[in-house]
Amino acid sequence: MDNISFRTTVLPLGDRLFRLAFRITMNRAEAEDVVQDTLLKVWEQRSQWEQIDNLEAYAFQVCRNRALDVTKRMGRNIKSLDVVDNEQLTTDNGLQSIEAREQLSLVRRLMDNLPEIQRTIMELRDIEGRTYQEIAQVLSISETQVKVYLHRARTKIKEWIINT
Amino acid sequence: MDYKYIEQLLERYWECQTTLEEEAILRTFFRQENVPASLLPYRQLFIEEDKMANEHLSEDFANRMLSLVDEEASLLGGRMEGSFCKARRVTFMRRLRPFYRAAGLVAILLTIGNAAYQSFSEENIVPQQMAKCTCEDSLQHITIGSPEQQSASLTAQPVDTLDSFSR
Repeated sequence: MDNISFRTTVLPLGDRLFRLAFRITMNRAEAEDVVQDTLLKVWEQRSQWEQIDNLEAYAFQVCRNRALDVTKRMGRNIKSLDVVDNEQLTTDNGLQSIEAREQLSLVRRLMDNLPEIQRTIMELRDIEGRTYQEIAQVLSISETQVKVYLHRARTKIKEWIINT
Repeated sequence: MDYKYIEQLLERYWECQTTLEEEAILRTFFRQENVPASLLPYRQLFIEEDKMANEHLSEDFANRMLSLVDEEASLLGGRMEGSFCKARRVTFMRRLRPFYRAAGLVAILLTIGNAAYQSFSEENIVPQQMAKCTCEDSLQHITIGSPEQQSASLTAQPVDTLDSFSR
């Protein structure tokens, strides 16, 4: 790693970290604060990057821990902003649009109500396209455990889809 | 159209047996409008996940971060240019280089100090020795008598030979 810079090495991780933080905190402003702290911490530790196997996995790990701290500190279960947005949208759109949005928001609501670890694993696998090995590294658990949690999450969603 | 392959993939997806490539095939399939009725209920999950993948930080976030990092750089006394720096691999021997230099400097100082001390000590000792030798030599020339007596008296009393003047 000859040339490193905040702009080209650390900043591009922002959106991916934001989605993870948003999935955990369920609050856009708090998720951005978490990402800011995470990026600064990763940048401050640049002298030790050679000792880190996978910088992105490390950044995900820092981000998750910070997001969990924030959620614990706030001690609340915040509704997703998108769910709130969708609830508001049902009042001023056409019936078909309302049904479509309502249905989408229900999937989202179901995903948001999964336990944090299942939500995080779904985010990393289905949205960020990470391998089971990388997810296991981020969460410091085995690949088998990752698959078990993911299976539980997908099964709940499948059952909900079949029953509605 | 036969959707058996997609149905099989979907079954494997629920069981967490699909690869990332197979999951990408499922996503691409469910993005299209013409999804058969039997698979339509599952479409909402993949569409929602697509939406979630398009969530981004606010537009001014990058600028805020860059200004924060620039501030940090300026606080460090401008050692970095903006938010850019060059990483360099430092070997173990290279890390020890300052210690080698310090050890070398100490060795040079000790050598110089020792040399100065030696030369100062010699300056004090040599005149005394020279004075002693000169005195003995001159007394040897001045002493009167047989050579045996002279050598005996010089050996016995090398310094107090002034007595011989009185003879």
